[in-house]
Amino acid sequence: MTETNSMTAGLRKRLEESEAQLAETGCYDGITTLECRDMDPLKFETIHMKLRAGCVSAREIARRISASPGVREVGEMVAAIYTPEGDAVAISNGIMVHVHTMSRFIKWMIKNDYEHDPGINPGDIFANNDAFIGTVQVPDVMDVVPIFHEGELVGWAGAVCHELEAGGITPGGDVALAQERFGEGLFICAEKIGLNDKIRRDYVIRCERNLRMPIYWILDEQAKVAACFSMRDRVLELIEEVGVDFYKKISKEFIEEGRRTQLARVRQLTVPGTYRSNTFYGHVTKGKPGFQPLGDPDWLYSIPLKMDIKLDGKIVVDFEGAQPWGYHSMNCTPAGMDGGMFVTLTQHMNFEGLVNDGAWLATQLKLPKGTWTNPDSEFCATATSWALLLPAYGAFQRMLSRGFLARGFLEEVFVGQVNSPMIEMGGISQYGKPFGIAHFECAAAGSGALAIKDGLDTAYVGWNPESDMGNIEIWELDMPMVYLGRSILPNSGGAGKYRGGNAFMSTWVINKSPEVRIVTSEHSSRVFDNAGMCGGYPAPTCQKHRVVRNSNIYQRAEQRKPLAHSTGLDQNDLEQFYQGNQQIIEGPHITAPMKEGDIFTHSYNGGGGYGDPLERDPVLVLDDIIQGHSSQVHGERVHGVRFKGSMDDETLEIDFPQTLSTRKRLRTERLQGAVPVMEWYESEKDKVKQGDFSPEVLKMYRAAMDLSEEFAREFRAFWQLENGFTYPEKEQEGMNNE
Amino acid sequence: MNNQQREEYKLLIEGQLPWPQTKNLMSSYKDRDRFFKILEIYQDKVEWDEKILLPIGEHLFIVQKGNQCIVKCTCGHEFGDYRKNWKFQSVLLVRNKVEDLESIYPHSDVCDPSWMEIREFICPGCGTLLEIEACSPGYPITFDFCPDLEGFYREWLNHPL
Ligand SMILES: [Zn+2]
Repeated sequence: MTETNSMTAGLRKRLEESEAQLAETGCYDGITTLECRDMDPLKFETIHMKLRAGCVSAREIARRISASPGVREVGEMVAAIYTPEGDAVAISNGIMVHVHTMSRFIKWMIKNDYEHDPGINPGDIFANNDAFIGTVQVPDVMDVVPIFHEGELVGWAGAVCHELEAGGITPGGDVALAQERFGEGLFICAEKIGLNDKIRRDYVIRCERNLRMPIYWILDEQAKVAACFSMRDRVLELIEEVGVDFYKKISKEFIEEGRRTQLARVRQLTVPGTYRSNTFYGHVTKGKPGFQPLGDPDWLYSIPLKMDIKLDGKIVVDFEGAQPWGYHSMNCTPAGMDGGMFVTLTQHMNFEGLVNDGAWLATQLKLPKGTWTNPDSEFCATATSWALLLPAYGAFQRMLSRGFLARGFLEEVFVGQVNSPMIEMGGISQYGKPFGIAHFECAAAGSGALAIKDGLDTAYVGWNPESDMGNIEIWELDMPMVYLGRSILPNSGGAGKYRGGNAFMSTWVINKSPEVRIVTSEHSSRVFDNAGMCGGYPAPTCQKHRVVRNSNIYQRAEQRKPLAHSTGLDQNDLEQFYQGNQQIIEGPHITAPMKEGDIFTHSYNGGGGYGDPLERDPVLVLDDIIQGHSSQVHGERVHGVRFKGSMDDETLEIDFPQTLSTRKRLRTERLQGAVPVMEWYESEKDKVKQGDFSPEVLKMYRAAMDLSEEFAREFRAFWQLENGFTYPEKEQEGMNNE
Repeated sequence: MNNQQREEYKLLIEGQLPWPQTKNLMSSYKDRDRFFKILEIYQDKVEWDEKILLPIGEHLFIVQKGNQCIVKCTCGHEFGDYRKNWKFQSVLLVRNKVEDLESIYPHSDVCDPSWMEIREFICPGCGTLLEIEACSPGYPITFDFCPDLEGFYREWLNHPL
């Protein structure tokens, strides 16, 4: 026997055995019968509930220790209990995306022989935010502690907080400008950061010296470690109660039962078959400062998805045909892809039963090597991977929802999560000190529509089922900006019989600061990335930033003149109200720092619509106009509703006979304007053959065909192109980067 | 299915079920025979006689016609064998000009038509907008859903097709 300096001898071997048993029996850890459950189903449920309660209360404890409004105010945190092999047994609410990423982190340490060096001992604390080891992006910092019972490792407790500042090339957590790993900020790579239940002082010093706002990160570390200790205590108390052998046995049965439940749920709620979807993401940085000439500044990604639901209930999602990874921060590791899938499943399938890694075991992701979903270079950046994850898993939700619809569970049909841009900033705070923060009011976008009702307005994000934008007053404490307004963005949900949830827009004046650098990320430029379903339109997702530099707002305020609180609908109110340098910025806001008196606006995204907009109840259309959720023009053009009276004197009402005849006419006009698909196909074929597309579209097709034989084959077959057809690179395209 | 449940599901389909009842449906255990109950209601709502086998959209169903399984619209228009993409039998409006996009996205910034177009697949029978694709010019038409109809009936429903 080799000598070890830790108390976990044989852990790696145990993990390998567990994986082999899964492969051999198809059941987690080779558990083919659920003996504990069969013996006493009530006790089985009760014990899981105790563990889950332990996770939930640990998270609540942590939220009260944290200094970060991300954790305190909007709950960007999750806590979970794992088996010794690193499989999640029970989880809290919150950013459940990380339950499986943390699992990867624990397994990574085991596979990399941490039991020998640096050793796994009671009181150790390990941290990680390296996505190739197991997280989504650099701000998602996780801490785990081993749980020992009388010298034996019986599990792990882990917690993740999304940090608001990561010390990267641009301030904040989602480091938008990182084009390689080397600009993303402070990396903690599966590091032992604490001993004897105490975080090391030298680790804290490293954080203090490498972050713009170390207090968030450091207190979040304390919060997570406290949460882990609390869960550790709960597990040890439970072991006292039920005995260690029983605990070890039942904790694994929970996972196997989770796996079986997931399969059963799929068979109960969906229909087997092949589902397909796709979504797109556009990125525009040409001419913006700070961009390094490594890749194209402007690019377009297609994100095709294929989902097979097998007869045994297994869901297989295939990203074949995805674009190659690139020199930008939106790549994603398999850990992040897992996380996106996991958090979506917890919301759609596991609303009853035990939520844990079992759900993940009942699914399979196919992530082609070399694509943004599974980069073959670990130097690539993943700091804003949500930009591609969110639209991708929105498409996954639409595929699942097609299954719910086919099975008759209309109340579960959901057009899905949206990609929505977020704000990061740094510079000098209103207190005269350096600062950096991610503004997490983005955690309240509009949701996609449902098959039976409109989507949620300003109240949904994919990564955290408990969406929350936080209070304005809290954000104002942490950044040198004062809100001029937060307002519903009319028409921002996709139109449909049921519309997507609307988003909001915020308007600020920079206050008491000589320098604030505002960088926004996760914008989809030039394309709609939040699609609709069954005839519903995609949400408009191309909102631009309207900015006024050197505005006269303080003068206006002094003169008691009215202020603009948003950009307005019909004209740009900022231009009407304020003098100064008016700017419109497309895509990510990456420009020179701003200062006191500058005005900045930012719009979030709404969700896609469901069903034909001409079928929308005219009463709902009118109600939306009265509530400011949509404009009258929108109601007339998109929904074919006709009105009498006017909004100005509060007499607006529906003209029902006119509405009926208008809708009839619009349907006829549709049929007159439309062409048979086969006719369109014939005329389109030549264009495709000639490659008569914009350079970005051409490059997108070429990249997918180069990387995926299957995509190339399907593309050629669809358009009847000869074998081996490709789009040769044109000379002038080479360096699209002057 | 008792009358109360039938009424509840009918309201659900029509988007008229009050929220407390809807929430209850979402949160409680799912009824195992929901599928056939919903089919019954759909069948009552359409004016044609072919047997509905599977809903696949807001207006589209796979139905039994003779010994064939075909896609059919609520209006009665038929799109052919369900294993082929029904979109090829529909009519299409493409919005690939800024004005055409702006007309349905008033007050919003629209996509750049050289990067993305909106394809509206419409039923030739009733003019209903059945499905929308938002994709790059030249992107192959997506086949949204091809069910394993036989496997579904045989193994999941234990019911002859
Ligand atoms: Zn029709």
